[in-house]
Amino acid sequence: MASLAQAKENSTFAKIGMILLYLALIIVAVFQLYPLVWLFMFSLKSNSEVFGLSPFALPQEPQWENYVRVWTQGNIDMYFFNSVWITLVSVLLTVLLASFVTFAITRMRWKFSKLVLALFMIGYMVPIHSAIIPLFDFYLKLDLIDNPLSIILSYVAFNLPLTIMILLGFYYTLPREVEEAAVVDGCSVHRIFFQITLPMTTPVLATTAIINMIYNWNEFIFVNTFISSDHLKTLTVGIQNFIGQYLTDWGAIGATLVISIIPILIAFLVLSDKIVEGIAAGSVKG
Amino acid sequence: MKGTLAKGLLLLSLFALVFLAACGGSDGENASKDDENESGSGDKVIEFMHLWPEGSSKQHYDIVNGIIEEYESDNPGVKVKLEILGNEQYKEKLKVLSTSNELPDVGMTWAAGFLEPYVSGNMFASLDDLLDGPLKDKFVPGTAEAYALDGTTYGLPLELNITPLYYNKAIFEEHGLEAPTTFDELKEVVQTLVDQGVTPIALGNKDRWTGSMWYMYLADRIGGPEVLNKAIDRSGSFEDPALVEAAKEVQELVDMGAFLNGFNGLGNDEAKGYFINEQAAMYLMGSWDLPEWTTSEANPQEFKDSIDYMKFPVVEGGKGDENSFVGGPGVGLFVAENSDVKEEAKDFVAFFVEKWGEQSVEKAGVIPATKVDTEGSDLPQMYVDVLNDLNEASNITLYADVQMSAGVAEVHLDMIQALFGKAVTPEEFAKQQEEALAAEE
Amino acid sequence: MNKVMSNKVVIALYTLPALILILALIYGPILLTGYYGLMDWNGIGAMTFIGLDNYVELVQDSKFWESALHSFLLAIFSTLSLAIYLIISLILAGKIKGSNLLRKIYLIPMLLSSVAIAQLWIKIYDPNNGMLNSLLQTLGVENPPAWLADPNLVLYAIFVAILWQYAGFYIIIYYAALKGLPESLIEAAKIDGATPIQIAYKIKVPLIAGVIKVTIVLAIVGSLKYFDLIYVMTGGGPNGASEVIASYMYKKAFGIYDFGYGSAIAFFLLLITLVVTWLTRKLTASEDEIQY
Repeated sequence: MASLAQAKENSTFAKIGMILLYLALIIVAVFQLYPLVWLFMFSLKSNSEVFGLSPFALPQEPQWENYVRVWTQGNIDMYFFNSVWITLVSVLLTVLLASFVTFAITRMRWKFSKLVLALFMIGYMVPIHSAIIPLFDFYLKLDLIDNPLSIILSYVAFNLPLTIMILLGFYYTLPREVEEAAVVDGCSVHRIFFQITLPMTTPVLATTAIINMIYNWNEFIFVNTFISSDHLKTLTVGIQNFIGQYLTDWGAIGATLVISIIPILIAFLVLSDKIVEGIAAGSVKG
Repeated sequence: MKGTLAKGLLLLSLFALVFLAACGGSDGENASKDDENESGSGDKVIEFMHLWPEGSSKQHYDIVNGIIEEYESDNPGVKVKLEILGNEQYKEKLKVLSTSNELPDVGMTWAAGFLEPYVSGNMFASLDDLLDGPLKDKFVPGTAEAYALDGTTYGLPLELNITPLYYNKAIFEEHGLEAPTTFDELKEVVQTLVDQGVTPIALGNKDRWTGSMWYMYLADRIGGPEVLNKAIDRSGSFEDPALVEAAKEVQELVDMGAFLNGFNGLGNDEAKGYFINEQAAMYLMGSWDLPEWTTSEANPQEFKDSIDYMKFPVVEGGKGDENSFVGGPGVGLFVAENSDVKEEAKDFVAFFVEKWGEQSVEKAGVIPATKVDTEGSDLPQMYVDVLNDLNEASNITLYADVQMSAGVAEVHLDMIQALFGKAVTPEEFAKQQEEALAAEE
Repeated sequence: MNKVMSNKVVIALYTLPALILILALIYGPILLTGYYGLMDWNGIGAMTFIGLDNYVELVQDSKFWESALHSFLLAIFSTLSLAIYLIISLILAGKIKGSNLLRKIYLIPMLLSSVAIAQLWIKIYDPNNGMLNSLLQTLGVENPPAWLADPNLVLYAIFVAILWQYAGFYIIIYYAALKGLPESLIEAAKIDGATPIQIAYKIKVPLIAGVIKVTIVLAIVGSLKYFDLIYVMTGGGPNGASEVIASYMYKKAFGIYDFGYGSAIAFFLLLITLVVTWLTRKLTASEDEIQY
C-alpha cells in the first residue's frame, strides 16, 4: 500500500519535473532561435532603425531594397558560388585526411604515433593572426597568392588539428571488435578503414563536417589576405564591402548575413540528421 | 625494407604536394603571362588598391571607375587593375603586403604617423615632382604637407575635413536653448538638458579617436592652436598646464553627465545612432558625416532639417579662437617606390587627384583637399557653410592620433579612454603621454 | 593482426599528407614567428636582431600580464561551462519528445558568423536602448549597468556571449558522442532499476570520458588564443579591461607596427598554451581511455 502511494507521489513529482524541464528547454530554445529572427529583422531595417529605439521593434517600413542592393551591388552571386565550392572541397579534404590520421593513430601500431598526435595537437594552439604574415610570404614564393588553392590548403591545414582531436575522442570510445574480427578474416587495412571504420564513424564525421563547414564558410582573414581578385572572393568578404570608410550600411550587412546563412542552415539540417542516422546504421553493423 | 618504402612514400607525398602547388601556381603563372603578353602588346598595368567598395560607398566607387575609364581612354596602352577592400581590411592588408614588399603601384594612405614607417622603410615614392609640376598650387595650403617627411611629400590627399559640433535644433528649441558660443554656455546647455533628462552629447568612445576630438578642441581653446602640436613635435611638453587643464574640463563634462551613458563601451556607429534617432542633442564629428544631415536617403527629412552645426565654443580667457578647427586631410594616394610602372603610376595619381577634386563634393559629398570652386554648383547649404569655414579657418589641427607615431597614438587613445572613464587623473593623463612621447625622441 | 595493423606503408600513406600540410602551413609559420620574435622589426623596413629583448620586455609588460590573466579567466570559465553543455546534451540525447527539433534549434547560433554574433550582443548590451537593460528596467531595476563600458563587468559580459557562441559547438560534439553509445548497456542499467540521472552520471558520462577530455583541451586552448568577439565588441577596452593575449598581440603587430614584439607575444602564447595543455592532460590522465 505504502509503496504504491509512494510510487504515485514519485510519478507526480516526475510529471512536475518533466514540465519544469520542458519549460527550461523551451526558454533556452527561444534564446537560441531568437538570433535568427533578430537577424532577419535587422536585414529589413535602415541604418537609423538599426540603432533605433528598441531592438525588439519591428522594422517600420521593411527595407526589402536592402536585399536588392546586396544582389545588384555586392556581387553576392559570385561570392556565393566561391563560398560553396571552396567550403565543400575544404570540408571533404579535411574530414578525409583527419580520418586517415586518426585511424592510423588509434588503430595502428607504430613508434611515432604519440609524437605525430602531439604535432597535430600543438598545431591547434597556433593563433591565426601570427601565421598570416609568414603564410603570405610562403604562398607568394609558391606563386599561390590570388589562387583559391592558397585558401583551401590553409583551411585544411588549420582545421585538421581540431578535426583530428574531435575524431580522436570518438575513436577511443568506438568498439574495436568488428575491426579486430575483420583483421582476423584477412581484410586489408584499406577495406577496414573504408568499409568498417568510416561508416561506423558517420555521426562524428557529420559532426566534424558541420563544424568545418561553419568555420570555412565564415572565415575571412585568409580570403582577405591571400586573394586580391574580386572574382575569387567569398561571401564574408562580401559583407566587408558594406563597411565604408566612415559609413557602414548595416541593413545591407544584415541582408548579406541572411542570404549567407540560408545554404549553411540547409546543409546543417541535412547533416544534423546524419548524426542520428549514422548511429542506427552503425549499430546494425555493430 | 619497410623503412625504405616509407621513405619512398614520403618522397612521393612531397612530390604530390609540390605538384599540387605547381598546378595551382600555373594559374598564377598564366595570369602573369597574360600580363606580360599585354605589356608585350604595349599595355602597362597599374595596380590600384582603394577602400571604397561599391556596397558602402557607391558614389565614391563610381567616381573612381569613371576617372579610370577616362584615364585609360586618354592613355592607350595603360590599364588600371583594381583591388577594393573595406576600411579595416584595407589597413590590415597593406601591412601584410608591405612585409613582403608587395605594395600595389598606387594605393591609399593616411597622413603623418601612418605614413612614417612606410617612408622610412623606403616603400613610398616621392611625389614632389607632381607638386612642383602638374599639381602646383592645386591643394589647399597645409594639406599635402601632412604627408611630407623631411620636406619630401609622399602622399597626395583626397579629402579634407573639419570637425563641427552638430546639434539638433528641435531638441534645443524644445528646451529653450540656443547654440552656445562659449564653453560656459555649453556647460549651461549641458546642465539644462541633463536636468530635463535628455542626453546632451552622443559619444562612442570605444573607438577612442572620438573622445580625442573633444580633448583636442578643449586643448586648442584653452592653450591655443600650437600647444598640442608642440607637445607632439617635442618643442613643448604634454605636461603644459593648458593640456592638463583641458583634461580637467573633459572630466568635468563627464561628471556633469554630458556624454551618452556607457560611452566607453559604445562604438561611433552606435553613438551616431542615438543622435540620428534624436536621443542626444549634440554630436562632435568630422565633416565627412555631412551627407547624413543633408543628402542621405536613409534619414528622414524632418530630422535632417533639424540638424545644424556650430563652431566649437571658445573658452573665456583661453588662447584659441572659434575659427580654429580640429580636422585635416584624410586618405591620400601614394605611389610604391618599387613599382615597375612608377612613371605611369605618378601620372595616373596626378590625373586622379585633379579629376577627383572636380567631382567629389558634388557627387559623393567628399570635400577634396584640392581647391573647390563652389560657384554655380548646387550644394546643400551646410556644405557651402562648411566650405566657407574651411576657407576662413585660422588653423586646422591635424587629429592627434594621426599626427603621432603609431605607438604613441596608441598610448594617447588609451589615455583618452581612461580619462573619460575617470581611470586616470588629468595629471597622470598628461604624464603618461609625455613619457611616451619622450621615449620616442 | 600486428602485421596488418603496423604496415608502415599504410601508416605513411594515411598520415603523411596531413602531416606535410601542417608542417608546411602551421609549423613553418610558427618557426618564422619565433624568429621574428628575436627581431626588432616594424614589418616594413629592415630587421635588426635583438636577441631576447622582446621577451625581456614582455615579462615586464604589465599590460601583457593583465591580458594573460583575462585569457586564463576565460579558459577557466569555458571549462566550467562544459558542464552546462554536457547537461544539455544529456537531456537532448535522452529519449524525450521533440529532442530532435530542440537539438537543431540549440545548434543554430553556431551557424552565425562572428560579425553577426558581435552585432547581436552589442545590441543586447547597449546601455540605454539594449535588450538586456530594457528588460531590467521593466523589472524595476533602476540604473542598470553599462555592460561594455564598465571595467568591472565588461570581461564577464563578453564571457557570456562567448559561452553562448560556443554552446552549439560543444553540444554537437557531446550529442554525437552520447548517441554513439551502445543501447544495450543503457537498457541493462534500466532493467537494474537505475534512474535516468544515475544512468547519465554513472554510465554515460564515464563512457564518453575520452570525448570530454578532448573538449577540455579544446576549451582551454581555444580560450587562450581567443580573439573574435572581444576584438569586435570592445577592442579590448575600456582601458584594457577586456584585453586578452590574442587581441593584445594583434594590436602590437597590426595596430602599432611592432611585428617583432607581436611575434614574441604569439610565440610566448604558444608556449603558455603548451604548458597548460600538458598540465591538463596530466591532471585528467588518471581515468584513462574507457574501452569496452
